[in-house]
Amino acid sequence: MKLLIILSLMAVLSGCSIMDKFSSGKSTKKVVIEDKGQNEIPAIIGEQSSFEWQESQEKSVASMPKQEKERILSALEASDVSFTLYFDFNADEISKDATQEIIKHVQFMQDNPQIRLHLEGHADARGTREYNLALAENRALRVKEVMSLYHIADRIKVISYGEEKPISKIDNEIGWQKNRRVEFVYK
Amino acid sequence: MKSKLWLALFLILSVGMAHGVLEVTVVKKDENTFPIAISKFKLIGKGAQDKDISKIIHANLTRSGRFNAIIPSTVVDKFNTEFWKKKNREAVVIGSIEQESSKIYRLSFTLFDVYNNAKLLSRSTRIHTRDFRKVAHQISDNIYEALLGENGSFNTLLTYITVKEDSKGKKIYRLNIADADAMNAKSRIKHSSPMLSPVWSPDRNYKDKKIAYVSFENGRSEVFIWHPFANKKVQRLPHFDGIASSPSWHPNGKSLLMTMSFKGNKDIYAYNLESNRFTRWTKHQGIDTEASYSPDGKRIVFTSDRSGQPQIYIRDLATNQVNRVTFSGRYNAKATFSPDGKQLALVHRVDSDYRIALLNLKTSELTVISNGQLDESPHFSPNGDMIIFSSNRKTKGVLSVISVEGNRSYELSSYNAEVREPNWSTHLK
Repeated sequence: MKLLIILSLMAVLSGCSIMDKFSSGKSTKKVVIEDKGQNEIPAIIGEQSSFEWQESQEKSVASMPKQEKERILSALEASDVSFTLYFDFNADEISKDATQEIIKHVQFMQDNPQIRLHLEGHADARGTREYNLALAENRALRVKEVMSLYHIADRIKVISYGEEKPISKIDNEIGWQKNRRVEFVYK
Repeated sequence: MKSKLWLALFLILSVGMAHGVLEVTVVKKDENTFPIAISKFKLIGKGAQDKDISKIIHANLTRSGRFNAIIPSTVVDKFNTEFWKKKNREAVVIGSIEQESSKIYRLSFTLFDVYNNAKLLSRSTRIHTRDFRKVAHQISDNIYEALLGENGSFNTLLTYITVKEDSKGKKIYRLNIADADAMNAKSRIKHSSPMLSPVWSPDRNYKDKKIAYVSFENGRSEVFIWHPFANKKVQRLPHFDGIASSPSWHPNGKSLLMTMSFKGNKDIYAYNLESNRFTRWTKHQGIDTEASYSPDGKRIVFTSDRSGQPQIYIRDLATNQVNRVTFSGRYNAKATFSPDGKQLALVHRVDSDYRIALLNLKTSELTVISNGQLDESPHFSPNGDMIIFSSNRKTKGVLSVISVEGNRSYELSSYNAEVREPNWSTHLK
């Protein structure tokens, strides 16, 4: 039995509430993860002997005055950059055109170091809800992967909604196509 | 003034009750249904009431698609073989109810075999006034087993999600519970953010029953456990970066399988509720999700796209052997074991439609049993002879229940909401 992680919440997270409602509030509780997946084909993180589990900590950036934020965001909206990228059925591949759009967002984030981004992944309604939740997360992660090359990853948070928040209710390819997407939501 | 107050209270109650209430429609029944008569129960003494016992039994047997049930217009208190032979009834149920104290009743019933002129079953029990429905379901299970030689699935519970748009077009999601006949529906958890994947814990005591489910109430998918009967509390499971989703219970009720994504990698973990320990069961860069245990807890079935498309895999927990079990079609997902562990119910893509299929694990034979466009979330009934799943009917979600042989079916629908994500509990005590 290989123990991959023994994470003391108190020591590592210093009060960050992973266990919140679940724990009785005492900091001695440990989250232990025992790895039984070792004879699987290694995952990306497979070589690591240990890793920390913790809440994603969005980098605390000096908050931007609301008016200023609204001004730069409306300027971005008025430009030719698209805030939604679309995907093929059951796929998370990013097209060349999409990459160009992503680079425009990278530029914007580099120009505005105080801005933070949520990448929201979505899927169409076909197939199962839980698989779509996973697939939609992969789409947003693919976009984050590209943006991470520019050292802005700590200002980006990925959220998957699966098929739960469709744009179009139309049950055909025209509707489905609109729902397989990643949305850029600035915070 | 007082009557106005009562009226207001009544309106509040009826509005409250309207949520999550489902209507049952029998779509298809057996060609050779079993002819049975269920008499209204005889009321003995003052204060006796029958609380629709015969109606509940009648509805249960009818819904199963295996009975042609009637309720005679007058109470039958003496069994007469010749009379029922002439009426072409093969079995007759008679019973009585007597009040013992203010809330305690004595209930007795007998099931007669008309052609053998014999008593098949005769029981007598003391019940509390609040347990009439439960007892009616137990009697239905008794009759089903005595006549067909198989367990019924009547004394069980359903959970499901309803989605309704309010007057401003905002979606309201509700987590609902109901008896297996869709009666006694309750809806206590309500959010404007999505909820999905509710699943009953295997506990047999009513009070111990819990529902694990996924909610987006904190802006992303997290797993919660609701105690609908004991303390009505909701607890949130430990949550990390990424998604936490797709809960399912170990048959011993002490741990849950769930999907979590760590640094984007979606794998299957078991979370032990007593020790707070996680066990990671898969490690693959593809998507691994929708895991559930075999009835003996020795294997897990899950969906993985490691081959490039979603397919079903089974992992033996003792040997760590992982085997792919679906080879037909390019999309197979969300599999669950039958109660005997011999079959899987799953979502299978046929051309551009998503249908419910059964996979025989011994022969690898795949049989499509539904005919919708977007059928999903299949689960076996506790006795294993029906499959419940959600289905789109003209963009309105309803729950369908189809027998494993495909010869019997019924639907559960709401007049004002979309119904989805059904799950059927095991038998209650």
